[in-house]
Amino acid sequence: MSNQHNCENCPVHHRENLIRLGIAMDRVDYVVALAGNPNTGKSTVFNNLTGLRQHTGNWPGKTVARAEGGYSWGEKRYKVVDLPGTYSLLSTSTDEEVARDFILFGRPDVTVIVADATRLERNLNLALQILEITDRAVLCLNLMDEARRNNLEIDARNLSKELGIPVIPAAARQREGMPELIAAIEEVASGAYVCKPRRVKSQSAKLNHAISTLAGKLAADFPGLPNLNWVALRLLEGDQSIIEAVRSGDLGRLSSGVLSTSA
Amino acid sequence: MNTGALILLAIAPGTALLTGFLTVVLLVWAFWPKNGLIAVLNRARMNSQRVLLEDALKFLYDCEYKREACGLHSIAGNLHVSSDTATKLLDRLRTMGLISLDEQNFHLTDTGRSYALRIIRVHRIWERYLADETGIGQMEWHGEADRREHMMSPEAADALAAQMGNPVFDPHGDPIPTAEGQMPDHKGQPLSTLQEGSIARIIHIEDEPHTIYEQLAALGLYPGMQVYVLDVTDGTITFAADGEECVLTAMFASAITVEPFEGNAPVTARHPTLASLEPGEEAEVVGISPNCRGQQRRRLMDMGIVPGTRVKAEFRSASGDPVGYRILGTTIGIRRKQAEQVFIKKLETTAHEQSA
Amino acid sequence: MEKKTQNNHEDILSLANKLRWDQGGAFHDTVIESIYAEAARIARKTVQQTGTPNAYNLDLRIDRILTSRWLGFPIMFLMLALVFWITVSGANYPSGLLAGLLIDTLHPILKNGATSIGMPWWLSGVLVDGAYLSMAWVIAVMLPPMAIFFPLFTLLEDLGYLPRVAFNMDNLFRKAGAHGKQALTMSMGFGCNAAGVIAARVIDSPRERLIAIITNNFSLCNGRWPTQILIATIFIGGAAPAYLAGVVSAGAVVGIAVLGIFLSLVVSWGLSKSVLRGEASAFSLELPPYRPPQILQTLYTSLIDRTIFVLWRAIVFALPAGIVIWLVANVRIGDLSLAEHFIHWVDPVAMFFGLNGVIFLAYIIAIPANEIVIPTVLMLTVLSTGMAGVGSGTGVMFELDSIAGTENILRSGGWTLLTGVNLMLFSLLHNPCSTTIYTIYKETNSLKWTLVSTILPIVMGLIICFFTTQLWRIVVG
Repeated sequence: MSNQHNCENCPVHHRENLIRLGIAMDRVDYVVALAGNPNTGKSTVFNNLTGLRQHTGNWPGKTVARAEGGYSWGEKRYKVVDLPGTYSLLSTSTDEEVARDFILFGRPDVTVIVADATRLERNLNLALQILEITDRAVLCLNLMDEARRNNLEIDARNLSKELGIPVIPAAARQREGMPELIAAIEEVASGAYVCKPRRVKSQSAKLNHAISTLAGKLAADFPGLPNLNWVALRLLEGDQSIIEAVRSGDLGRLSSGVLSTSA
Repeated sequence: MNTGALILLAIAPGTALLTGFLTVVLLVWAFWPKNGLIAVLNRARMNSQRVLLEDALKFLYDCEYKREACGLHSIAGNLHVSSDTATKLLDRLRTMGLISLDEQNFHLTDTGRSYALRIIRVHRIWERYLADETGIGQMEWHGEADRREHMMSPEAADALAAQMGNPVFDPHGDPIPTAEGQMPDHKGQPLSTLQEGSIARIIHIEDEPHTIYEQLAALGLYPGMQVYVLDVTDGTITFAADGEECVLTAMFASAITVEPFEGNAPVTARHPTLASLEPGEEAEVVGISPNCRGQQRRRLMDMGIVPGTRVKAEFRSASGDPVGYRILGTTIGIRRKQAEQVFIKKLETTAHEQSA
Repeated sequence: MEKKTQNNHEDILSLANKLRWDQGGAFHDTVIESIYAEAARIARKTVQQTGTPNAYNLDLRIDRILTSRWLGFPIMFLMLALVFWITVSGANYPSGLLAGLLIDTLHPILKNGATSIGMPWWLSGVLVDGAYLSMAWVIAVMLPPMAIFFPLFTLLEDLGYLPRVAFNMDNLFRKAGAHGKQALTMSMGFGCNAAGVIAARVIDSPRERLIAIITNNFSLCNGRWPTQILIATIFIGGAAPAYLAGVVSAGAVVGIAVLGIFLSLVVSWGLSKSVLRGEASAFSLELPPYRPPQILQTLYTSLIDRTIFVLWRAIVFALPAGIVIWLVANVRIGDLSLAEHFIHWVDPVAMFFGLNGVIFLAYIIAIPANEIVIPTVLMLTVLSTGMAGVGSGTGVMFELDSIAGTENILRSGGWTLLTGVNLMLFSLLHNPCSTTIYTIYKETNSLKWTLVSTILPIVMGLIICFFTTQLWRIVVG
C-alpha cells in the first residue's frame, strides 16, 4: 500500500469501476472529473478543455446525461467527464448520486471543482463536500470577469491555502486561465502537487463520537481507505450505495484495487 | 357497410347524450382512485382474516415494547371486534405458534415477534414515505399505511426504504425496525411527567387513537420541537413548543414522548417566518420547522437556508406567489408554503446596505 | 476467511444502525450546518467587496420589470407569440423549397428510375410511394419549423429568461398540483411534444415531472398547427361572413390552443388529486444571472441536440408507416382495398362521434407524425369516394396548393362544418405521435405511464367530440 505514493506518474483512477460506470477507457492516462454547482459555466470549461460543443444551459439539472471528452497535454492523454451540476452531494436526487458515485467509485485522478467566483460562499459548500470524498482536486474559480464587474476581490492564494488544493482564477468564456488550469490538473494528476484537503469537523460532539467509532471499525476492515470519516457519515445517513459497497466488500476495492490492476 | 353499427346513427341525439353522459359517469366512478368501484373491489378482495391477524400481532408487539400487559379485552377493543371474534382470532394465532398465553396475558413467540416486526417495518416505512415524498396530509399517513402494510412485500419495502436513505424513524418519531428485525430500546418519557421549568425535545407523538392525534396535529406539534414547560397544575400542563404556548390535559400530554434536552436557552417567543418578509427587507435564518421534512428540507438547506444565513426578499413573481430571495449571492424563488416553514430574525436594513 | 470478513461487514452495518438510533433523526442538519459554517469562514477570509455589485444591480432592475404584476405577463405573452410567429412565418418558405425538391422533383425522378431499372410496380410503390414519400414529407414539414423554433427557444433559455417564466407562472401550476417549470415544458410542447417531454427533465420531483410528461400532448404542436389552420379556414372561416372569415378562423385556432392549455391544467389537477396524489412538493428555483447568449454555439447545439435528434426519431417511424399507408390503399380483398373495407366498416361508429372512417384510419396509420395526417386524409378520401383526376395515384399521399381544391375533396367526402369542428378537437385530443410515445417511454421507463399518456387524450377526444356532435344534432338539427 505504501508504494502507492512513491509512484509519481501512476494514475489512481479505478479502471474497472470506471468501465462499469460506462466510461470507455481505451488510450487514457488520466481521468478528470468536472463537478460544480449549476450555472457556474462548468460546461464552458468542459468545452474549452475538450474542444467539444456541449450545450451550456442556464438551468440546474441540465447535464442529465454525463458528457465525456478528452485532450492531450505533455504526452499524456486526459479523459474529461462532465458530471451533473448539483448544489450538494448529500441529498438523494439522481443527479447527485451520479456525481457522487463517479467521484467515489471511479476515483478520478483529478476532480476539477468549477466554482462561481461571484458567489464563492455558496459554491464552497459543494467544494468542501467534494473534498471530503477525494483528496485530488483543483478549484477552478470561474467567472472572474463577472466578479470584477461586481467589484469583488478574491484572494486565490489564501483560498488555496485554506482548501489545501490548487485554486485557478479563470474566465472560461474568454478562455482566460485555461492554460493554468491544464497545468494544475497535470500537477495534481502526476502527484507533483500533493493536496491536503480541508476536512470539516461537525459541530456536534455526539455525532463526531459516532463517526469516529464507526470509522475505527471501518479502518480495521478496509485499510487504506482515503475517506473513512465520510464513509462513516454516509453509513449513518443510511446511504444505500455505500451500505451495499460495505456489504459486498466493494468498498475494499476502492482502497486496494488500484495497485492490483495497475501493477 | 357495417350494418350493426349503423343503428348508432338512428339513435336520437337526446338519448345518445343521456347514454353518453351515464357512460362517462360510470367510467369515472369505476376508475376513481380511492372510493371508485375498482378500488373498493380490490380492497374487499384483500384477505380480511389475514389483516386481522396481522393487526393483532402488531398490537401485541406494541404492548410488549411499552412493557404493558395485554389481555383479551384490550385486544378486542383495539381491533374493534367483539371479544368472541377476538377469542377465535387469538386461538388461531396460538395454533399457528405465533403467540403464547400465561395468566390471562398474551405474549408473542419469537416467530410471532418477527412477523409483527415485519408488518411494523412496512407500516413505518410507508408513513415515512408519505410524509417525506408525497406531501399527503399528516392525518392520512396512518390510515394509508395501515392499508399498505398488508399488501406490500418485505422486499418492496426494503427497496422503498433504500431509495429514501434507509430511514430509522417514522414521522411520528417511532423507530423503524431493521430488515433483520432489530429494534432499539424504548426511550424518553411522557410529556405529562415533566416538571415546571424543564426543557425537552419531542421525540414521538402517538398516532392512535385518531381523535387525540388529530388535536395534537391541529396544535402544530411535531417530533423535533423544543418544549419548555411553563406551568403544571393538577390535570393540565402549559408549555411553549418552539415558542408557541399550548395547554394540554394530562391525557393528551401522555400521548407525547419527550427526551430531556441538553443545550441552549429555551425558545419562549415564536419567530416570524420567511413568508412575512416583504420585498426589500432582510433577515437572518433561525431554523427550519420540523414539520418540513425529507427532500423538501434538504433542498432548502442545499439552497443555503441554514441558521445564520442572511436572506433578503427581492421581488414577488407576477402572480404574487413565489418570492425571489437573495441567498448567498443567488436569487432563488421559494413558494409561500415553504417560506412559512423557515423561521427568521428580521434585520434592520440600513440605507447604506440597501445601496450596496 | 471469506465468511469472517462477511460477518465483519455486517457487524459494521448493524453498529451503524445502532448509532443511528442513538443520534435521532436530525443530525443531517448538523452536518450541513457545519459545512456552511466552514464555507462562510473561508469566504470571509478570502472575498472582499470593494465597491457596488454593478452587474447584480442591473439584473435586479431587469427582474423587477420582468416579474412585475402589470408587465410580467404581457411581456411573456409577447415574447412567446413572437417566437411562434417567427417560427410559423419563417418556416413557410424553406418548407416549400424542401417540398419542391424532395416531393415534386425527386419523387418523380425516383419513380421513373425505379421503372427504368425494371422494378415491379408493387415494389416501387412500397419503397418510393410509401417509405420514401412519407419520409420526404416528414422532413419537409418538420425540419424548417423545428430548426427555427428550437434555436429561438434555446436563446431565451440561455439568456436566463425562461426561469423567470417559470417563476411567474408557478402560482397557476401550483394550484393545479404541478411545478412552475411545467410552463416551460408546455411552451416547448408547442414546438414539439417529444422535445417538451424531454425538457421535463428539468423538473426534479418525479411526481411533477410525470404530470408534465403526461399533459404535454395537450400543447398543440408544430405538426398540428397547419391542420388547424387549414380546417379552420375551410369550414369555420367558410361559415362566417367573408369580411370576418380571417378573424373568425384565426380565433378558432387560438381557441383550440387555449383549450389545450386549459385541459392540460385540468388534467394536471386531476392527476395530482388522484393517481399522482400529493400536494405540489418542494419548489425552489434558481433565477440565474442574465448572461449574453453565445449565439453560434446555441445555433449549433440546438440543431444537433434537439432538431436532428427529434427529426431522426420521426424519420425512423415514418419509413415503416409510409409502407403501411401504401399497402392498406393497394392490397385488395375482393373489389376493395383494405383501407376501403376498414373505412366502410368503421364509418357509422365514427359518424356517431361526428367524425368519419377516413379520419379514424388516417389517425391510425399516420401515427409517426401529425404532419402527414392531412395528406393521408386527402388520399384516403379520394380513394374511398372513387374520385377521378385528383391526387397522384392509389396510396400516394398528396396535398393541394389551392384551399378551394382541398375543400372540394373534403366536401365530396361528406365533410360538414361539424366534421371540421370535430376534426379540430380531435387533432388536439388524440394520442401523441409515435415519436412522442417512444420518447415518453424512454423518459419514464414505464409501460404503464406511456399507456396512460397515449390513451387518456384519445378517450378525452372521443368524449368531447361525442358531446359536441350530439349537442349539435339537438341545437342545429
